[in-house]
Amino acid sequence: MKKALTLLLILVCCLFAAQSTLAQDAIKVGVPLAMTGPYTDTGDNYWKGIKMAIDEINTNGGLLGKKLEPVRFDTQEFAPERVMQGAEYLCGKLKVDSVHAGWAGWGQDVRAYGKYTAPFFADDGSQAAVDVFKQDTKKYKNIFQLTDTGINQGQSMFNVLMALPYEYPNKKAAIITADDAWGTEVGETLKENFKAKGWKVPLHEVVPYGTNQWGPILTKIRKTKPAIIHVEIVSAQEVITFFRQFMKKPTNSILSYGYSLVPREVVGTMGKEADGLIGEVPTAMPTPKAPTPEAQAWLDKFQGIWKHLPQAGSWAAYSGVKAWATAVEAVGDEKNHDAISDYIATKGYKGETGWWKWDADHVMRAGGDVPIAHYQVQDGQMIAIFTDPPTKPYKDYKFQVPRWIKK
Amino acid sequence: MDHKRIAIVLAVIWGVVAILPVFFGSTNLYMHILIMCLIWSVVASCWDLIMGFAGIFSFGQVAFFVIGAYSSAIISAKFGVPPIFAVFAAGVVAGGLGVLVGLPCLKLKGAYIALVTFAVHMILEPVLKGDIGRAIGTGGSRGILTIEPMNIFGYTFLSSEPIPYFYLMLLVAIICSAIILIVIKSHWGTAFLALKDSEDFATCLGVSAFKYKLRVFALTSFLTGLVGGFYAHYVGMLSTRMLGIDLFVTLMVILVIGGVGKFPGAIIGAFITIALNELLSPLGPYRPIILGALVVVLVLLLPDGIIGLIQKILPKKNNGLPIES
Repeated sequence: MKKALTLLLILVCCLFAAQSTLAQDAIKVGVPLAMTGPYTDTGDNYWKGIKMAIDEINTNGGLLGKKLEPVRFDTQEFAPERVMQGAEYLCGKLKVDSVHAGWAGWGQDVRAYGKYTAPFFADDGSQAAVDVFKQDTKKYKNIFQLTDTGINQGQSMFNVLMALPYEYPNKKAAIITADDAWGTEVGETLKENFKAKGWKVPLHEVVPYGTNQWGPILTKIRKTKPAIIHVEIVSAQEVITFFRQFMKKPTNSILSYGYSLVPREVVGTMGKEADGLIGEVPTAMPTPKAPTPEAQAWLDKFQGIWKHLPQAGSWAAYSGVKAWATAVEAVGDEKNHDAISDYIATKGYKGETGWWKWDADHVMRAGGDVPIAHYQVQDGQMIAIFTDPPTKPYKDYKFQVPRWIKK
Repeated sequence: MDHKRIAIVLAVIWGVVAILPVFFGSTNLYMHILIMCLIWSVVASCWDLIMGFAGIFSFGQVAFFVIGAYSSAIISAKFGVPPIFAVFAAGVVAGGLGVLVGLPCLKLKGAYIALVTFAVHMILEPVLKGDIGRAIGTGGSRGILTIEPMNIFGYTFLSSEPIPYFYLMLLVAIICSAIILIVIKSHWGTAFLALKDSEDFATCLGVSAFKYKLRVFALTSFLTGLVGGFYAHYVGMLSTRMLGIDLFVTLMVILVIGGVGKFPGAIIGAFITIALNELLSPLGPYRPIILGALVVVLVLLLPDGIIGLIQKILPKKNNGLPIES
């Protein structure tokens, strides 16, 4: 037992030592992402973009002559005290000069990081986060959202569903969403839009994460035969099991997966089996061909490093780092957080596809040079077929009627 | 161990904890971690009381904690009740629900109680997120993102200045641990021991298992709900993410490390587990693996937890340190 206790003590000492090995003359960049738990996949997507940007800056001589040093924090499942702890650790203790997150707490993060001054970039896509921001815009001036809200993304999904070059056999839609803030925001928005357009929504189910037996819901779907089935659960297992069980006896329905299409495992696992599914990515780098030569170069570089196409969040998180770095260079002092936040809010940032301009709520609204990209899986790859707003086809890519729809 | 010696052990623990701000007070992160240690120490001690001492395999402790947190936030926001009274009201709500859960549960035995109480944990999330939750002010899936900070006699305890809140929570933890100690040393504790040794024999002697177990259900739910209220007004926001598996597992690890039924092991276990969890944090995905492996090693080497180790180190005279269930 003495040996075991000695080993335990050595381990604890090593961990203490590991925590105090940060370089002194580097600019610390906080990266609170889910590294464990159900959101690990999305956390990994964001990390790839953030790391790529930091490596790029460091390779080019650093920022103001200093190297960037990412400090990661595991946000786990975004419990309130965990989100708060991340802010205390990164901003309070380590005094990082910027924080780059992805999904970060849907409003809880605004409260936690708004107490500090370091610019904070999140990809909450949540109206709740915007509502917290609006409570005190001066206090929260360091908060920047990299994507539009779930409500606006839901609206965009509806716009594209209505714009598809396809004649729906009826005006019935089924909506299945996760029981989180994102799922309910998108689900409610779609439902309102369908009803306003004269469609019926005979099925609107809200399910918990972890659902993978779809028998009862599919029975209702097979009975009502909706023209559109929208599934909004951002977790690979749930949407893959839904698709496979649906395909045992498919209905003539367009399967719209919204943001659920983006966990890398969905297309990675199913490959060509997923052909026909449609979905969307906000603040997206359309693929497989990017809209500009600069964007194509970025896309090629990303694929070179990570050996796959970028998934949701990678480019957004990359651009967050670059926007902050541009502002730091303009201000000339990484510690002048207020001036940096003001610069980002007023000047924006010129990225690979064009200008990024945050609105008064510090949200990167969809449109302009940074639209929402809508994809269809074709030949095992995510192909951008539309961008929105405004709703328009993307390059020469065409929507393909899914193989399970019988004419 | 007699009353006095246990009180001395607790006094030593709390005395050491009380001077920690001298070393860590300048860093909000450490103070935040210490406050969370105090909160979890109470929750884990309550769980230990119900599971380790009373022998009720209840898995509903996190649920009562969350019920208390939401109740306090809603009561203070909707009815304008000052937070200090709201937390007590939240304790009453959690205690009442504890009794409601306890009534059917205590007609069951062993694993069946675990199943029913875990079901309470499982259904709480959809209830809080659903129409019922939204109707009572839980904010549904969004949660509650603005909660009034604790205010006592005009003094506001802000999370940005954690030292005062630390001492407030220390006071709450001391009172809760004193209550638990009194319960253990009272005829309740004797009754639990008798019931654990031989329920039939104890019943023949006139010990009512149902009565004592229901009381302990109510008491632990009340204390857990109360601390949940303090948590809500400290963190200032709530979401059903608290019902994730991470917190549940952390509390179980606290009990394993501290020693099940070995009060005040849960208090020591809370400080060790939370500190260890934080130390392992930089390891990211390896954290749960290493933590899990450590738990396995500790269970094999120290089946009675840290308290078991202390017992082995201390002379074997019957000094009763600590109280064993």
